[in-house]
Amino acid sequence: MVNVETQGLRKSFGDTQVLKGIDLRVPKGAFAVLVGPSGCGKSTLLRLLAGLEQATEGTILFGGEDVTAHAPKDRDVAMVFQSYALYPHMTVRDNLAFGLKLRKTAADIIAARVTEAAAVLGLEPLLDRFPRALSGGQRQRVAMGRAIVRRSKLFLFDEPLSNLDPALRTQVRVDIRKQHDRLGATSIYVTHDQVEAMTLADLLFVLNEGEVQQAGSPLDIYNNPANRFVAGFVGSPAMNFIDGCRISSDGASVLMDGHALPLTAPEHTAADGLADREVCLGLRPHDFELAAAETDALSFTPSILETLGPEVHAHGALNSYQGVIAMPAEVGLQRGATVHVRPTRWYVFDSETGVTLR
Amino acid sequence: MTARAIANNVLSHALLLVAVAFALYPVLWVVALAFSGDSVPTARAIPVPTAPTMDHLREVVLTTRADADGASTWLFGQQLANSLLVSIATALVGVGVAIPVAYALARFEFVGKSGGMATLLATQMFPAVASAVPLFIMLEAMGLLNTRTGLILCYASTSVPFAIFQLRGAFETIPVDLEEAAMVDGASRFEAFVRVVLPVAKPAIAVTFLFAFMTAYNEFILAATLLSDESMFTLPVVLQRFIGEYDAQWEAFAAGALVVSIPVMALFYLLQKHMVAGLGAGGVKG
Amino acid sequence: MNGAIAWCRAAALACVVIAITLATSLAHATSPPVPDATTPLRVWHAYRGAEQVALDALLQDFGQELNVLAIPYDAFGSKLAAAIPLGEGPDLFIDSHERLGDFIHRGLVAPMPAALIDSGAYVHSTLDAVTLPDAVGTPRAWAVPLSMKSLALYVNTDLLSDVPTHLEDFHDLKETLPDGVFPVAWEANSAYTHAALLSAYGGALLTEDGGFGMHGPAATRSLQLVLKLLDAKVLPDDADGALVTDLFRSGKAAAVISGPWLAGDLPASLRYEVHRLPAIYDAEDHTGKSPAFMRPLLTVESLMMSPRGADHPHVAALIRHLTSAEAGRRRASDARALSARIDAAPAPTDSFLRAFQDQAAVATPMPAVRAMRAVWEPASRAIRKALRRDAQPARALEQALQRFRDVRRPPPPPRDPTILLTILGASSLLGALLLFHRARQPELRARLRASLPAYRYVIHGVILVGLLVIGPILVGAATALFAGQPHQMYYVGFANFIDILTARSGPLLSSGSFYVVLLVTVAWTAANVILHLAIGVTLALVLSRPLLKLKSVYRVLLIVPWSVPSYVTALAWKGMFHRQFGAVTGIIQSVNDVFGTEIEPIAWFATFSTSFAANLTTNVWLGFPFMMVVTLGALTAVPKDVLEAAEVDGATPLQRLWHVTLPMIKPTMIPATVLGSIWTFNMFNVVFLVSGGEPDGTTDILISEAYRWAFTREARYGYAAAYAVLIFIILAAASTAGARWIDRSKERA
Repeated sequence: MVNVETQGLRKSFGDTQVLKGIDLRVPKGAFAVLVGPSGCGKSTLLRLLAGLEQATEGTILFGGEDVTAHAPKDRDVAMVFQSYALYPHMTVRDNLAFGLKLRKTAADIIAARVTEAAAVLGLEPLLDRFPRALSGGQRQRVAMGRAIVRRSKLFLFDEPLSNLDPALRTQVRVDIRKQHDRLGATSIYVTHDQVEAMTLADLLFVLNEGEVQQAGSPLDIYNNPANRFVAGFVGSPAMNFIDGCRISSDGASVLMDGHALPLTAPEHTAADGLADREVCLGLRPHDFELAAAETDALSFTPSILETLGPEVHAHGALNSYQGVIAMPAEVGLQRGATVHVRPTRWYVFDSETGVTLR
Repeated sequence: MTARAIANNVLSHALLLVAVAFALYPVLWVVALAFSGDSVPTARAIPVPTAPTMDHLREVVLTTRADADGASTWLFGQQLANSLLVSIATALVGVGVAIPVAYALARFEFVGKSGGMATLLATQMFPAVASAVPLFIMLEAMGLLNTRTGLILCYASTSVPFAIFQLRGAFETIPVDLEEAAMVDGASRFEAFVRVVLPVAKPAIAVTFLFAFMTAYNEFILAATLLSDESMFTLPVVLQRFIGEYDAQWEAFAAGALVVSIPVMALFYLLQKHMVAGLGAGGVKG
Repeated sequence: MNGAIAWCRAAALACVVIAITLATSLAHATSPPVPDATTPLRVWHAYRGAEQVALDALLQDFGQELNVLAIPYDAFGSKLAAAIPLGEGPDLFIDSHERLGDFIHRGLVAPMPAALIDSGAYVHSTLDAVTLPDAVGTPRAWAVPLSMKSLALYVNTDLLSDVPTHLEDFHDLKETLPDGVFPVAWEANSAYTHAALLSAYGGALLTEDGGFGMHGPAATRSLQLVLKLLDAKVLPDDADGALVTDLFRSGKAAAVISGPWLAGDLPASLRYEVHRLPAIYDAEDHTGKSPAFMRPLLTVESLMMSPRGADHPHVAALIRHLTSAEAGRRRASDARALSARIDAAPAPTDSFLRAFQDQAAVATPMPAVRAMRAVWEPASRAIRKALRRDAQPARALEQALQRFRDVRRPPPPPRDPTILLTILGASSLLGALLLFHRARQPELRARLRASLPAYRYVIHGVILVGLLVIGPILVGAATALFAGQPHQMYYVGFANFIDILTARSGPLLSSGSFYVVLLVTVAWTAANVILHLAIGVTLALVLSRPLLKLKSVYRVLLIVPWSVPSYVTALAWKGMFHRQFGAVTGIIQSVNDVFGTEIEPIAWFATFSTSFAANLTTNVWLGFPFMMVVTLGALTAVPKDVLEAAEVDGATPLQRLWHVTLPMIKPTMIPATVLGSIWTFNMFNVVFLVSGGEPDGTTDILISEAYRWAFTREARYGYAAAYAVLIFIILAAASTAGARWIDRSKERA
């Protein structure tokens, strides 16, 4: 168990800057998730932590110790690869034992640990098989097992579920969290899937274009996104953005199509000189309720309905904009039948910087 | 099976049989000649031995030499051993030198990499006719003329570049993840290379070994020019002696050719599956 | 300017420090021993069979330890030339006297001390044969004659009771002999054999003043006579030495013209006699006497001494031992060798050797001057061309004269190397400065530092490849700027290149000019690669059909051509293409028998197209398995779902092949094809062994042309090196252009 910290971490490949100064703080025993769209640098960051790439600039600290220049083998981390990277010329047993053998662990300890990991992951019947004779899910478990036997102080996961089918994915997700809680080691997990990120993380880092956009607990990030990118990335279905809105001249509300949505802290708005500014309004699909056709209600005409069981995601015209709203199934939205809805919560973003305004 | 599928199948087998006939016909002639007792020259279409005999085979295989002390050495055995020794050493040197180079070319970025690759390809374009004489002179300066070591170095000069091409392609097909996994597991780069990459690349290495072996095993011009001791001759040189200026013992030559071919054919047979994987999956890359 | 050797030595010495470390780690390096009384004398020869046994027995009786080596005949000359200047060669060696001129020129032989030659004891003509002028023009003996060899007439006494005394008489024997038996056979295509006919007409291969003799009326008439005999089927077509032996051995030729070596290959059951060569009614010799006798060339096998051997204290004793009358008698009785010593003349009862002795008495010693080396190739080509009826004899001989003059042209004059050295020095200085400048750039230094781990993996490979591959190539390429013999080369600038590129001032598109040969080479490469690809890819596609049975059996059988040594199969193919006795002719005959057709056997090496086709067949046979295996591998990497997607999209099998499979295997096939093209471009073995350039050098490709200049013509290494450099430039330019083209088409895609 170790806390992980990076300071001003930069990485360039040639002229391309992939990481532009990352400051990460992961406390001991936390399950941290790095999430972001593909190309945001999250995998590179993980590889820097593993020592598979050298940082162009900045420091990496494990438990306060500077490991920036350490070779992977000297960092005592375990890693699960997206492709699993099982050694094709070794049996499952040897795959599990390889890391321990490299560290010259005594044979009886190796045997005990392998047996234990195999039992935990249900790998006993597969121990003498070669990876090519395993199914995708089994390979994933071997990859997990290979990390577990090591008893490392830090686990790194590089999109370990992306090669599994959805049903298995949910189950393995739970398993991973269970193993984390059992072993108590620090884990850093990379994914592009925000559902995975939200469900697993104690601590979530949202990355985009080589920078940490926001760090915090999943709920905090969901409720208080720092900017338009984070707001759009976290939450499903994604937030509706309505450009071209305006803050009222008294700074008390934001105007959309003539509807005024009051702001929670108008005193700040005025103080920040935001009155009369053009802004972007953010409305989560789940933050709507049905309303009568009053002045502050918006009209919504669904064109496509996605029925998920308890709730329905409706795509359609929100006044003059395209948008998505989520409603309980019993509301009984109909295609083409206009209803009136009222947002219960809204976010305001700077039109230019995308920063959340309060 | 539909009629069309059957027709396709028949057609495939017909095509393959024609190809096999084309592939084997000259070889069968060599075999037939090796076992022919009399060499009445007649034009025949079917390669069967006339007056079958094992004499030529026996004559070739049982060649001995009387030594000064009265004992006799089994010359053929010694020459076979030479051939195997030189060929295996060539293959070991070729593959051994090429493996780390090919690995670096497949995995590392370094100054001079593209230039090195281009130079290596360029060496394949320069005909050996012009570089053989300087090579000789150099071997002489090193005191390696008329030694098997010298011959091995000569052969290595052709086998190393090819092996580098071949193995670089093979290493490139191995996922980088494997080494990285090993490195995270506690291996140094070199350990990951030795304990993960090499075992995974074993089939490709075996195929490369075979090709390097063959360059040495089938070569006679250099061997005849470089070696000056009968007990050091390799088999192709011995075979060459059956073809004289005025008369050629074709039957003995064929018998010798047969014996010489057997080890290589056996290796081909053993490795043919890997050859498909080794050469095809980006094996020969320019 | 001491030429390329000095260059090589300098380069070699520079490398020697690294090399020795390398060599000792590889195996025991040995240094050449300095000759002294305890070093065993080294003796080299190319004898086989009974001659080898007899020589070995004689050497055994010498009583001292000797180092004896029998070398394949084909490698003997080049081996001597390679080994002796390096001090690695023999002390004594046995070779034909006609090579002496060349050996003297190259410094491979030392003059024979007069004390070792008992001049009264030898047949006079043999002493003449080994006496040649030295560097300052003084005639000296350079070898001790051992035995004499010449052609004679072997007659099968079961087939012929009366031996015809005139060549034309064999014509009438045709009716009396059984069907399929030739009245007489000889190697009609060989200039060596033909020299006997030529002499009957008063001609000689080489004129007294060292000019080309194989032209003019005598040569023309001798060829016309052979043509007449071939037409009448008195003489077999296309006979080589081995075939003549086989014909006589199997009773398919009533008489053959051959040398003493034939006897060793004849079965004891065969009854034959040897007679001197017949006379020719049609001919009159230089004295005007007609009919005139055929006079074969006389080869004097001689004992020669290398400069190294001259220093050995025991060499004189061994020479005396080997050239004694007793030794001559023993070699006569054991190996049927006709001694050059009068006091070892064959017994009157020995009719075989007596016959050869009679023949030798009237034979013409082969000229030993260097010009003789340049005679063989043009003369043989002209004979073959005329006998194939590709040209009138007179015309073919005229071309031969031209070719002889081509080869004998004096080498270019030495040039002053100052300009080259200045340019070299300036550019290397500039390069060093540039390098120094760049190395100071911080960015490059950072990249160099980042490259260090990689260098640890490649350093040994760089050293080895640099030493064994690039070094010799650079030195070899530099030789292109030099002319002369290996140990006395001198700088000539770009004269070699200019010579080649201007077709030696002849017409640019004449046969054998660089441009014509290049065209043939390109056609050869293209045809081969296209066929390799077509056959290889087709077979691989068939073999990868999922439902096919016996797949692995087919695959094993189809790669057999790859696994057999290529020189074995090249020779096998050459045999199969023989016009009279080849398997291809056998197949044609079977077809004729079965279908009643009357297809004529094809003389494969008589015309360019058939000869090219024969080479092509052989090389396609050798090369298609490689492409097949590469394709098979590439096909395993084609994902099934893409093919299925195409099938669902309604693509026919052919469309799937063309639009999906082939584009997907292309990335693997392109490098394999490039490498295959390079190999084919330089595929020396097949061209040299199968067609040998026949007919008339038209099927030669650049590499075989280079080889001829280096080894079978005047040993012009500089000239051959210039060819090699040109080949390199062509290949490099072609592959660069090819790579550009591929890149561009990738960008477009």
